[in-house]
Amino acid sequence: MNALPIDLDLAWESLPALFDGLMVTVFLTVLPLIIGLALAFPICFARMSSRRALALPAETFVVFFRGAPLLILLYLVYYGLGQIEALRNGPFWIVFGSPFGCAIVALSLNHAAYMVEVLRGSLLAVPHGIVEASEALGITRRNIFLWVRMPLALRYGLKAYQNEVVSFVKGTAIVSVVTITDLMAVANSIFEQTYDPFTPILCAAAFYWAFVNLIRVGFTFWGGWLNRHNAEDVAMPGPGRLALARLAGRAKVMP
Amino acid sequence: MTNLSLADLAGYLRQLGEGALITLELFFASFTLAFVLGVLIGVVTLSRNRFIRAAWRVYASVFMGVPSLLVIFLIFYGGSAMLAAVLGEFGARIDISPFGAGVAALGIVYAAYIAELVRGAIENLPKGQFEGARALAIPPLIMWGRVILPQVMRLALPGLVNVWSFMLKETPLVSLAGLQDLVAAAKIAAGATKEPFLFFVATALLFIAFSAASLWLANRLEARLDRGQRRAPVRSSAQAEA
Amino acid sequence: MIARPPASDLAGDLAPAPVAPAILLAGVVKRYGAHRALAGVDLQVQRGEKVVICGPSGSGKSTLIRCINALERHDGGRIVVNGIELTGDEGTVQDIRQEVGMVFQHFNLFPHLTALENCMLAPQLNRGLSKAQAEKLAMAHLERVHLADQARKYPARLSGGQQQRVAIARALCMEPRILLFDEPTSALDPEMVKEVLGVIEELAASGVTMVCVTHEMGFARRVADRCVFMDRGEIVEEGGAQDFFDAPKSERLRHFLAQILR
Ligand SMILES: Nc1ncnc2c1ncn2[C@@H]1O[C@H](COP(=O)(O)OP(=O)(O)O)[C@@H](O)[C@H]1O
Ligand SMILES: [Mg+2]
Repeated sequence: MNALPIDLDLAWESLPALFDGLMVTVFLTVLPLIIGLALAFPICFARMSSRRALALPAETFVVFFRGAPLLILLYLVYYGLGQIEALRNGPFWIVFGSPFGCAIVALSLNHAAYMVEVLRGSLLAVPHGIVEASEALGITRRNIFLWVRMPLALRYGLKAYQNEVVSFVKGTAIVSVVTITDLMAVANSIFEQTYDPFTPILCAAAFYWAFVNLIRVGFTFWGGWLNRHNAEDVAMPGPGRLALARLAGRAKVMP
Repeated sequence: MTNLSLADLAGYLRQLGEGALITLELFFASFTLAFVLGVLIGVVTLSRNRFIRAAWRVYASVFMGVPSLLVIFLIFYGGSAMLAAVLGEFGARIDISPFGAGVAALGIVYAAYIAELVRGAIENLPKGQFEGARALAIPPLIMWGRVILPQVMRLALPGLVNVWSFMLKETPLVSLAGLQDLVAAAKIAAGATKEPFLFFVATALLFIAFSAASLWLANRLEARLDRGQRRAPVRSSAQAEA
Repeated sequence: MIARPPASDLAGDLAPAPVAPAILLAGVVKRYGAHRALAGVDLQVQRGEKVVICGPSGSGKSTLIRCINALERHDGGRIVVNGIELTGDEGTVQDIRQEVGMVFQHFNLFPHLTALENCMLAPQLNRGLSKAQAEKLAMAHLERVHLADQARKYPARLSGGQQQRVAIARALCMEPRILLFDEPTSALDPEMVKEVLGVIEELAASGVTMVCVTHEMGFARRVADRCVFMDRGEIVEEGGAQDFFDAPKSERLRHFLAQILR
């Protein structure tokens, strides 16, 4: 056993393969982030609706796809949906028949469920008085949402969103179970070829760490830009901040 | 629709039950480890020592910046070598089981999150807490054990509940290192019976049910702690000084 | 709670006023659960009239003026604003809100927009003004509240008095014919009350119709054509400012005035 657990030559040789793996990880992050967010909006509206017929299914969706471990969701989509005859013969089999399609579906559903809660919490954090003031100005509900509630919700919920994105990235590491060669899978296969337990995994760790921290830095800049209006003193009114504290408690584990 | 015989089903259910027990054992063991480590680390790293603070930042950044699965693999594959490096010849002979690797990995990763919660909670305590205890000449160990930490736990409880339910959802990762837990059992049953949908949904529901039950308990605990807090004489006297 | 005759009966008997009033309330009832926040309110405000409403906390003043622009929906009676009757219909509500500006106790400015943008938002969205047109309009009204020099600042950078004046300018940008104020100065530090009341007084001179909830007696004496005293969801007494403050008729108003003067 030498003092340094890392074999520098092996690390250098593995770099291209690891980088390819990283690109797969990035791809499996970006696409579900987009799809999940797009799904989260309508589901969030349904969840916040006063009509039970809308709110209940949305809540069930959130409880299931947020409460189920991602690994099980992935197995469920990959192995379980193939059982359904209509799906296997239908046009969507292009998606559900491929590992990538399944991974993207499972990841998107999981992300959507988390984002429903992030969105809901952020929208609830918008002070009621400000929405009322917009109504009093005769602004339509749609415009109030677009120009007042959403911009404010984004500011209040950015931290929770960042937490979700970061933990989502780390969550993608399981996709190798459906034969996708992401960063984790590449590291594993190098281990299996070389029996070096440290070099490939620590290199992969460095890649993950860099990716995650790049996201953090990005969010920090975004937040700074959004909050330029209260760079020194905090403008967020009391009730908003309170709701936000509750939101932070509800979102995924804080980084 | 199902082509399962009742006897088969019973057999698989028994396997699932055994797997569920292993998952629970893994979960409780890792949470306990994470909790103990997290509280210790949280308290110790509040020290003003620069090196301790730097070490904390590195530790937190690393384990919050990489997937838990990666840490599990690292310890599972490399644990023996690491032990050998630390303990010498004796360590090399210790075999790392998937269970042990899982507990160690989840414990170390989530200790970072818990330590962060504990640090935040301690920093949010009114200064009078410490001064009050000091004014009463309470020995440090008792001060921490009886005065500070109980209040820290109350403040950190919502965050701990969060870590709890998130950690629960990550326990299935250890099955990828070969642990025969609930998810592994479900996968076997799903493959053998050709009923993956049934078994995976059932497994997911088990997780959800356990999570919901513990959340319910946590809410009751929180309500009780909040009620107790209003009556606690130590707090009110210390608060008067703050 | 004293039992009263059903207020809606009164509404039908009301003869139309010779000149259509700016605001007409007839037997307006608003319930929160079993509690009646408005227990049959009748009030007419003529065009250009300035009405000050006062009364103890919880007497229904906010509820009353919030019903006028449908921030609260009334449960009984009639509300007619500028000739438009408020029904449950969403379109009518939108129409009425174009005519009625409102200023809140807690300003409720948009924290993510500058003072100027706060004023531009509604004209741009509702009337389809271009950015340049909206900016011109907003600057003109910020000028009117003496804040043209603060136009590019975010609300967090402004004092309470300045924020409330921006809120007034924001309401003015929709060029409403009726302005509602709900305790516009009661969240302000004393030294800022004057600047806000000053601006409102200048507006009053412009001929706009005004309903203002306030306990500022000096302001009421200078501006109000009529003062209205509310208690427990009903209008107890009304009259010209002079009589109202110097010779209150009802025991309840006397008691109330004695309290706020103390
Ligand atoms: N959203 C609401 N829900 C329940 N009760 C309310 C609500 N808003 C006001 N009330 C009640 O209606 C009554 C009148 O309130 P309000 O109009 O705000 O009084 P004021 O403005 O004169 O202080 C009060 O008793 C208050 O508690
Ligand atoms: Mg009020």
